[in-house]
Formats: sequence, C-alpha cells, structure tokens
Amino acid sequence: MKNLALLFIISGCLFAFACNKDKPSERFKFLTGPVWTTDSLLANGADASGPGQLLEPFKGDAKFKEDGTGYFGIHTGQWSFFSEETEIKITTDLPVFGSIIIPILCDIVELTSLSLKITTVVPNLANPQEPHKIRLTFKAR
Amino acid sequence: MRCILTALGLLLSFVLNASDFDGIVKGKVFDKNTGEPLPGVYVVYGKNLGTTTNAEGSYTLKTSQGKLNITFQFVGYESVTREIFVNDNETIELNIGLEMRVREIDQVVVSANRTEQRIAELSVSMDIIKTSFLTENHITDAQELINKTPGIEVMDGQASVRGGSGYSYGAGSRVLALIDGLPFISADAGNIKWQFLPLENLSQVEIIKGASSVLYGSSALNGIINFRTADATNVPVTQIFTEAGVFSKPQNHNWIWWNAPRKFSSTSISHLQKFGRTDFGISGNIMVDEGYRRLNDETVGRISLKLKHFNSNVEGLNYGLNLNSGYNVKRDFLLWEDADSGALKQSPLTAVEFHGTFIAIDPFISLKKSNRYQHDFRMRIQSSLNRLPTSEQNNSDAFSVYSEYQLWYRLSDFLDLTAGASENYSKVGSNFFGDHHSLNIAGFGQFEMRPLDRLKAVAGFRVEYYTLDGINDKVIPIFRAGLNWQAADYTFLRASFGQGYRFPSIAEKFASTTLGSIKIIPNPDIRSESGWNTEIGIKQGIRIGEITGQADLSLFLMQNSNLIEFYFASYSEGVGFRATNLEQARVYGTELEFALIRSFGAVNFTATGGYSYIYPVDNSDTYKDTVIYLKYRRMHSGKLYLNSNWRKFDLGININIRSKILSIDDVFLNSFTRELFLPGFYEYWQNHNTGYIVFDTSLGYKINERFTISFAVKNLTNTEYMGRPGDIQPQRNYSIRFSGKF
Repeated sequence: MKNLALLFIISGCLFAFACNKDKPSERFKFLTGPVWTTDSLLANGADASGPGQLLEPFKGDAKFKEDGTGYFGIHTGQWSFFSEETEIKITTDLPVFGSIIIPILCDIVELTSLSLKITTVVPNLANPQEPHKIRLTFKAR
Repeated sequence: MRCILTALGLLLSFVLNASDFDGIVKGKVFDKNTGEPLPGVYVVYGKNLGTTTNAEGSYTLKTSQGKLNITFQFVGYESVTREIFVNDNETIELNIGLEMRVREIDQVVVSANRTEQRIAELSVSMDIIKTSFLTENHITDAQELINKTPGIEVMDGQASVRGGSGYSYGAGSRVLALIDGLPFISADAGNIKWQFLPLENLSQVEIIKGASSVLYGSSALNGIINFRTADATNVPVTQIFTEAGVFSKPQNHNWIWWNAPRKFSSTSISHLQKFGRTDFGISGNIMVDEGYRRLNDETVGRISLKLKHFNSNVEGLNYGLNLNSGYNVKRDFLLWEDADSGALKQSPLTAVEFHGTFIAIDPFISLKKSNRYQHDFRMRIQSSLNRLPTSEQNNSDAFSVYSEYQLWYRLSDFLDLTAGASENYSKVGSNFFGDHHSLNIAGFGQFEMRPLDRLKAVAGFRVEYYTLDGINDKVIPIFRAGLNWQAADYTFLRASFGQGYRFPSIAEKFASTTLGSIKIIPNPDIRSESGWNTEIGIKQGIRIGEITGQADLSLFLMQNSNLIEFYFASYSEGVGFRATNLEQARVYGTELEFALIRSFGAVNFTATGGYSYIYPVDNSDTYKDTVIYLKYRRMHSGKLYLNSNWRKFDLGININIRSKILSIDDVFLNSFTRELFLPGFYEYWQNHNTGYIVFDTSLGYKINERFTISFAVKNLTNTEYMGRPGDIQPQRNYSIRFSGKF
C-alpha cells in the first residue's frame, strides 16, 4: 500500500508538472496581439485589392485570435503555425480565390509587433499553368 | 516438503516393486531447448512408482507388462506424460525433452538496455510476443502480429505506439523495426519492410513503448520492435507449416466483386542445427494472397540464413553471418472506387504493380568474458530495389551500410557501462525521390547502476550527426534515465524519461509524384522532429491460489515538436500533399496489461490482454484553450487473448477492441475535396466511424508428437471496420494449417 501511495504521489507531481502549458512564443504574441490592417495586397506583383479583383475580399482588418480562429477581411476561418512558426496555415469558412476552401500555406516573410508580410501561391482556375503569386502585407493597427 | 514426500514415496515404491518386473523402460531426459541432460527429474508411473534421473539425465524403470503412463516432472519445467505398452522381457528406450516453464516476470530481454535483463527489472515498458502466438493464430504477416499488441496500431504499414504516430502515407516510421538489434527500415521511404521479416525463425519479439533514440538512434522516436531470431541448440529442430485459406463474403454484399472466392496460402520451413562449434540456421517462406480487394494481390518469397562459429582457441570469441532476403510482387491498395459498391475495388488509376527485391547481409564478431566484458562489432549491408513496371519513373534503388561497435563492461559489482558508436551510410537512386546520399554517425554511452540491493538505475546519452547530400544537420545530443525499484518479492516500481528525434526520410523530403488524383509535393526544407516521453509503472507478479502471472500498470506522457505529417493544402508548388512540420503534439494516457495462467487438471488455461487509454492533442500555442485531436489516433484500445489446451486440443480466442478514430485529414471531410479523392467516403465515415470489436478463433489438434493440424477463423462475426480512410479491413476468413516440429 505504501508503494502504491508513493507511485501515485510521484505520478501526480510528474503530470502536474508536465501539464503546465509552456509560455507562448514571441512570434505567437506578435501575430495574435494586434488587429492587423492591410497595407498592400499584390497578385503577380500588381495590386489586386480593387473592386472585383482577386484579393478584394481580404481588404480591411485581419485578426489572428489565440484560439486558432480569426477573420481575414470579409472571411472568417482558422489558422495555425507550421514549420517552427515560419509558415501559417489559413483555412477559410467560405471559398476564396474562385472556389478554394482548402487550407492555404503561407510563408511568413516578416513578423514583428508592427508588421506582417506573407506570401503564397494559389491555383489559377482560369489558367492552371500560371498560378497566382500572392503577397499580403499588414500593419498593426 | 511435497517434493521430499514424493521422493520418499518413489524410493519406497521402487524398493517394494524392484523384484516384480517383466520389462525395462530406459532413456534420457534433457532440456528441450539446449539439449543439456537434466539430473533429478522425477519419472513417475502408476501410483507413486518410479525413479529419478542420474547426473547424466538417464533413468531406468523396471516394470510389469502392460500399458504404462509415465510422467516426467522437474522443477521449473513443463511436465510431460507418455503412454507406452511394455511387452514381456522388452526393453523400451524413451528419451524426453522437457520445456522450461518461464514465469512471465522472469522473462529475459535484450532490447531495453542492449544487454540481457529480466523484464521485471526494466525502467521502461516492454511487451514480449512469443512465437507460439503466431502459430496458434495462423499469423503470417508481421503487421497483423504487431497490431494485436495492446497499445499499438499498425495503420496501413505504419506502426504507432500509444498514439505516438498517426498515418503519413507510408513514409517515415517513428517506430524502428530491428532484426536482432540491427535497424530494418528502408533507406528511401524510411518505412518498415514488414513483408521481409523472418517470422518463420523467431525466438521472440520485444517491443519498447516510448522514445528509444538514445540506444537506437533516429526513427526510434516512438519505440522499437525487435524481432529476435532463434539460435541453434544441441537438439536439431526443423519446423514446417503449410496453410491455405479463403475470404468469405463481406457484410455489405454490394461490395462483392469476385466470381470465385478469394484465396490465400503460405508455406514455411525452418531448420536449426549445431555442427560441432558452428550454429547453422535456414528458413524460408512463400506466401500468395489473391486479396479480398480488386487490384490488391501479393506474392512474397523470403529466405534467411544464420551462421555462427565459436572459436576453439579463444574462449568467448564467436563470429558469423546472417542473411535476410526476399522478393515480392504486389499491388498496394490506395483509394477505393466508391463506398456503395466499390469499397473493395481499387481505382485502376491508383493501382500500381510493385516488384521489390531485398537483401540484408549481417556479418558480426563478438568477444565475451562472462560477467566481465563483451565486445560486439556488427554490420548490416542492405539493398532494396523497387521496380514499378507500369510507372518506371517511380523506380527506386536504396543501398545502405550500417555498422556498430558496442562494449559492455562491468566496472564494479554495482556499475556496468555500455558504450559504442555507429554509422549508417545510405545511397538512393531514383526518379521518384532523386539521387541522394546520407551519412549518420553516432556515439552512445549508458551506465547501469545497482546502488542498493533492490534498486537499479540507468542513465544514458547519445550524440548524433547527420549529413544529407553534403549538407550537415546540427549535432543532436539526447539523454535518457530510468529507475527500477523492487519494492517487494514480486513488486517492481519503475520510472523513466527518454528523449527522441527523427531525421526526415528521403521520401518525406523529396517524393514528387502524382497517384491518380493525388499530387505529392516535395519539401526539401522539412526539419527533423524531436520529442520526449516519461513514464511511471508498476509490475506485479501474481499468485492467487492456482493462478500465476503478472500485471503491469503504467502512466505515460509524451511530447513531440515539429511532428512531420503529410498535409493537404495549397502550397507554392501547387495543391496536394506535402510533408510538413506541424507544431507541438502531446499524448498522455495509461495502460494496463496482464498475463494469467491456471491449470484445471489436464486443462491449461492462459489469459493475456491489456487496455490502453490515450489522450492525443495538438499542444501548439494556437490551441491553448481548444482541444484539437491528433489525426489517426483512437482513445481506447483493448485486447484479450484466451488460450486453453486439453490433451491433444488447443483452443484460442483473440478479441480486439478499438474505439473510433478521433480525427482524420481535412481533405477527406472538406466539401471541396472529399468527393475528389474518396467518392462516398464522407457519408460512410459519418455512419461507420464508431469503433469495432473483432473476434478471431483457432482450434488445433495434435496428431502426434510431431504434427499438428489447426483451423482458424478470423473476424468471426464478419465485422465491417476501417483502418485509414478507404482501407476496409478483411472480412471473415477461414484457414487450415498443417504444421510439424521435429
């Protein structure tokens, strides 16, 4: 009985210690801290934020919430870091870029407390041979 | 006391009956495994009549004419009874081999610390699978064998120990398979070559549940499975079996696509023998499986050799060569046609014929001085060729040379050192993966301490260096430590901590292809994954009346970073699957295992089993307050195996229970993509992802001392269940096996 008690004490301590969540990383705090506002929205090097253009729905504010949800212009969805926080996966609740509702992997080019720059490539449904090269830059509001 | 009374009784009866006999029965009694004579064995017949064996293991009975039941009894060995008929003035020679009865708690293993140790004294969780389990259950596939171990699931070839792995489309195993302690994974895909494991000549399979990288390096992040082959003994042993079986109809008759029942067969032989100071072993197997699914058939042939010579001039010096080789032709099942009528039909778009050739040659030399030191140098030169006649662009040649030196040294009565170094050079030539070469160099050391009579401690470290195509990865140091305390005669408490890591396989980095509608995107920048696990446990020997056995309870926690998984998304390179570093993963849980043995007169009864509970979650910052389950894990799994034998009959029932899969790839659920990959899957998943219970049964009959015939029914209740998405598991199937041991 003494042995079992000892086992349970050790296990209790071990699990209490292990179940403490680590502190969030700096990049996590940078990303989730501010409400971001779009600075430039480029598709294939040209501005695509105008009415009816490819990136118009992303124009405005974006918020990456700590619980993995967020909004990106008019879209709501989920996000998470990948690859040691060098990539962001974004999945929108409604189709984007024509009819895409699959997760989009974006490379983080820059992430500070004031600035966020991400790039990605998405399919071009009109011309599959020439996908859209996207670059989004945000400023903290 | 009972032994003394029996001995006195035997002596008295022998004296009283000495003058009244008609025939003679004489012979030798020896250890069945080693061939060594056994002195002091009770040789009993009638009511306490008999004798004991002398120093050479010999005995002589003088008995009257007639039928005689002679029983051979010896402490620590299974009793054997033989029926003979003695004629007037006849002399019968009856030699008997007794099999050692090993208590579960005293079983000896080598994998946990790379030296021989009692299982009860380990600081980590370990399971042992005995070869009798394979025989009794008609198991010819190593995946099926491992899948029936508590806490382990093999999902389409990928093993996961206690939820430490998911399913990553056949690339990169976090569980390292070993044959006799040497790695047995392919140099290109980093997966286990299950079909070439020499099941026909095993002594036992040892499974470590938890990170084992300190001792076994990369790929042992989640555990190891060590297939230990059998050595020759003084008694030559030949074992054979031939088996044939047939699949019945699935529960859903709409899925039947065949006109004639689908069949499978397997034939195997192994022989072990000593020639003077040389041990020799050879084994082979041929398996043909038509498959219960269309375009999913397989033929495998494999052969293994073992040669070991004990030097006559230098005591303790032995050297030799092992060889494992095989050839297979198969078509893997990837995607079904549809859920309604085509779940057992593979889409011709993804059906690819695969021809695999494999050979591993393992030279070794060992010098051992009992209880002082042991030097071991071992190599594995391995080559595997994958040929895909209909898509030659996916051919792949992988070659590797693994070598290791290990020293075990007893520094003092309470301190042992195990240290060594290893290298693994790999070269891959392939259009599928590209041409690559890598080198992995490691050094390791471990101290085993016995500071107190009942306390054992172990502490080890490893330093690993990896370079791929001339690009160096960072040097990785990792550690492990463990304690085992014998709290009472049959009570052992343990605690352990171990780190692990895994370099991405070449497939995960460079695979680039299109299979049907699936595009695989390479990711040369993928990083290594790492993790640690900790565990506490108690192992308790059991003796309740006539019941003996053991129970083992453990609580465990493991955490991994940069977990590599294939993830479907829109990438810079296009839309498809790409190996990606996910963030933190955490799994904790508990596991209970037991083994109980009881004899009721002539009926021997064994019950083994276990239950595992895991809680596998994404532990990233993003999901601090949200529960996101890791993919392809089940929260509950249990196993119960009941076996009983009575006279010449042997009956086994194996029950496997698993709860539902907690989470799968979004691509199979997302309304945008789900119909593209697996038509009808989403609806099927909603209705059928409920967990399952599968019953397997077997009945054996011992025709005589050498031959047995047995019948097995797997999936007795014809349960419909699924592994990974689209992978419907076999429906009820029947097999008959004829086996012999002589």
